[in-house]
Amino acid sequence: MTPWRLPQKSAAACWLRLAVICSILFCSLTQNSFAASAPKFVIGWSVYAGWNPFFYMAKSGILRRWADKYGIQIEVQRFDYAASLDAFVAKNIDACTMTNMEALDMPAASGVDSTAIILGDYSDGNDAVLTRSGLKLNQLSGKHVMLVQKTVSEYLLERALVLNGLQDEASRLKLVNTSDSDIAGAFLGNHSNQVVVTWKPLVSQILDQDKGVANIFDSSKIPGEIMDLLMVRTEVLHRQDGSGVKFAKAVTGAWYEAMAQMSGTGPGHERALNESAAASGDTPASYSEQLKTTHLFYTPKAATDFNDSAAFKQKMDLVRQFCFHHNLLGEGTQSVDDVAILYPDGSIQGKKDRVRFRFDSSYMHLAGQGKL
Amino acid sequence: MATSVLDPRNLVDIQARPKRSATQILSWVLFLASIALYAHFSSVRHRENSEDRIVPSAKQLVQGIQSSVFHPAEEDDDLDPGATRWQQIRHSMIWKDTVASGSRFFIAMALLVPAILLGLHMGIFPYFGAFFLRYVLFFDKIVALSLLPILFIVFGIDEWSKIMLMVIGVAPTLILDTCQITRAVPREQIVKAFTLKCSNLDVAYRVVFPQILPNVINSVRLSLKPLALFLFAGEMIASTDGLAYRIAIMRRHMGMDIIIPYLLWVALLLFGLDTLLRFLNRRLHPWL
Amino acid sequence: MALAAALMQEELPIARKRRCEIGLKGVSKTYRSEKGETRTVLSAVNLEIEAGEFVVVLGETGCGKSTLLRLILGEEPPSFGSIQVSGKPVKQIDARCGYVPQKYSLFPNRTALQNVMFGPRTAKYPLMPWLHPGFHAYRKELKTEATQQLLRMGLRAADANKYPHKMSGGMQQRVAIAQALIMKPSVMLMDEAFSALDPSTRISLQELVLDIWREQRPTMVFVTHNVAEALFLGTRLIVLGAYSEMMGGKTNVIADMHLQRSDLPYLERRHTKEFIELQSYVEELSYGISCQP
Repeated sequence: MTPWRLPQKSAAACWLRLAVICSILFCSLTQNSFAASAPKFVIGWSVYAGWNPFFYMAKSGILRRWADKYGIQIEVQRFDYAASLDAFVAKNIDACTMTNMEALDMPAASGVDSTAIILGDYSDGNDAVLTRSGLKLNQLSGKHVMLVQKTVSEYLLERALVLNGLQDEASRLKLVNTSDSDIAGAFLGNHSNQVVVTWKPLVSQILDQDKGVANIFDSSKIPGEIMDLLMVRTEVLHRQDGSGVKFAKAVTGAWYEAMAQMSGTGPGHERALNESAAASGDTPASYSEQLKTTHLFYTPKAATDFNDSAAFKQKMDLVRQFCFHHNLLGEGTQSVDDVAILYPDGSIQGKKDRVRFRFDSSYMHLAGQGKL
Repeated sequence: MATSVLDPRNLVDIQARPKRSATQILSWVLFLASIALYAHFSSVRHRENSEDRIVPSAKQLVQGIQSSVFHPAEEDDDLDPGATRWQQIRHSMIWKDTVASGSRFFIAMALLVPAILLGLHMGIFPYFGAFFLRYVLFFDKIVALSLLPILFIVFGIDEWSKIMLMVIGVAPTLILDTCQITRAVPREQIVKAFTLKCSNLDVAYRVVFPQILPNVINSVRLSLKPLALFLFAGEMIASTDGLAYRIAIMRRHMGMDIIIPYLLWVALLLFGLDTLLRFLNRRLHPWL
Repeated sequence: MALAAALMQEELPIARKRRCEIGLKGVSKTYRSEKGETRTVLSAVNLEIEAGEFVVVLGETGCGKSTLLRLILGEEPPSFGSIQVSGKPVKQIDARCGYVPQKYSLFPNRTALQNVMFGPRTAKYPLMPWLHPGFHAYRKELKTEATQQLLRMGLRAADANKYPHKMSGGMQQRVAIAQALIMKPSVMLMDEAFSALDPSTRISLQELVLDIWREQRPTMVFVTHNVAEALFLGTRLIVLGAYSEMMGGKTNVIADMHLQRSDLPYLERRHTKEFIELQSYVEELSYGISCQP
């Protein structure tokens, strides 16, 4: 027997030894994760005019102050939009920024019960249908349309057709699913592409670089239908130790403090704008231009007024019908009512036992009353 | 001496002689483990949330497969309800996507033939080598995906930009590999051929080419994966149909019940193609 | 030494002045490494090989045996000097010479028969032969000829359809010789052709080569490092020595001598006194090995 061979022992002894080593390793690894003290929450956000303030909130220390006040930790993490949604649905993060449409077809339709606690803004011209050579909405039949399919872009296009009485044209369009990272370059680079539906800042880029392109329809014609929300998983809000509620309060408080600065009424207006612009690598000028077409609710009152209005439910209904007709609620979903929405007044759109998406304006109300 | 499968010392014994039955069983363990792990996660997640879409259950998967194989691809495709199974399959999304992706894939593969011939010429004709080699070596290091905006401008956003992405992504490596394989042909073979009154083209196409073909086919087999990767990248970025297009769309609403069958189907297709090439190699080259 | 002197001065039975088949005039070959160092392998080699001679080139490793062969083939140009084969200068590899290397002598993707047929077939129908109307008839004819050639080399008809990887080394070299001979080259160049074979195969191949040479009288240039093989086969022996700077541009051909032909088979001949003496003399000459104190 060579000296470096394992000493001859029974197989059982060897397995035992392996098992002991493994369990020691496992324990030492898992112990670290029990070490954290204050409950920690992670917010995912992605680059967008209405969400950039999250970057400012975190960087300026506003968020930390509010978190300390409630005795919790809050971390803000930047994602690509699609990745942030994946992470939210996979329950890797506790809160995430998304549009009302994605909130419905991603977490809610996947059975992840989630709650909108902040209604940040709605798109008021940020999303647009652009065409070359003076093409009008009624001339789009048979044309290739570049857009990111099954997103608000397609919703916007469909609404544009419906509002102009052209709903039958929808099936005659040839939609080309184009990634947002390449859509501007691909559209500008090839003049045979005549129609594109996209959002800012891509819209501004395209309009700046090619004077032959015109904006023929944008989201300012369907105000309030494309909203930007901060979603929190409902189960997080209902945590036994109450930390979820503290989290919601802290974020809402921090948000409206940042909003006050952004609106120019509070101190640090300049800094808030500059930092928010820097979040997406924009100049303050171009960021301000984007904000013009983003209807930010600077005060809690503005947001709650809109959230609690009767028109709000109609707008949500348009969106959920769109999602259902495009199979976005899942192949297996039989009825639009299978993914029900709960509104602040307690009314429910859809089946009572299948509420998956909740609007909770109570935190914004508290902010409005200064009770945070 | 440790002989039993159950003895952990065997795991680190180079001289171990596992029985045939043991190797057979061991080779399937990881498959079973993956399935078990998946089933475990799926059931855990479904216990928490019965509508979970990230790790679909077997039932959801079966539904997903059914809807991808039997349901029409387009929302407005009104196939009459009495259609036969075959007609249903012909109108299904998986069929349409496979045809779309497959035609792109095979056109790209056909365009790799000139690349292989170029590699052969570079390996055997000194002037070709001098002219192309350095450039191809450089071009090979360019990440093809970063050229995509240029490809869109040159080839439009239709089929050709995707096909060219695949070709540009894979061809340089294949050219270099063919060149390398060609240069590895023993010098004696070429000398011998010339003493047998061969012309230059005879040497290239009757002596060297048949000899390198098996290795080149193996090289193509290794390129299948990058080809598929570039196809997917192209389809995900801009397209109206295709396997990756569907996956990209399904991702928008977490349609893992469709995505997972699609992934397995793509894996199966690639595996089949690889096996076909391997079989072809054996049949074409009895002298190996 | 007296023996060797006698050998070299001996008048050969075929001493009639014959046509010069291979001529080298002042040939040198110098290689330049990437670092710029030069290495001279052949220096000032003058050789006239007559048609029908069986020349054996002997020498230790690195003395330039194979380089000499490559120069005659035309695979590389000489650094200085000129080379002529069959009265014409050598520029590129062509069909003037038949070639049997030590390894890779057959096309692996062709059977024995296809290997033998390859030369004439390609010469007559370059590229896409099946398009020519007369091809099939020609191929039939060629097949008979090639089969005969293979049989002549001592292969069985059943071996004709084997691929090289299924053949033994000896069989492969037999096919390789057939492949070269069917082109009827005026010069046959064999580069350590039997070095990788076992002794008995080697001997039978040596006998075969001798037989063929006697029948067809091609000019042979046979490179080997085996003294017994060289003495058994050749009618003329050229011994090369490794070139060193000390030689100062002089030739590195150590010896160039004619050998007496004997009709005895190798196994009997190798025990004769002259053969043993000659062998030890040449060994000492070419490798510096001395058997006798």
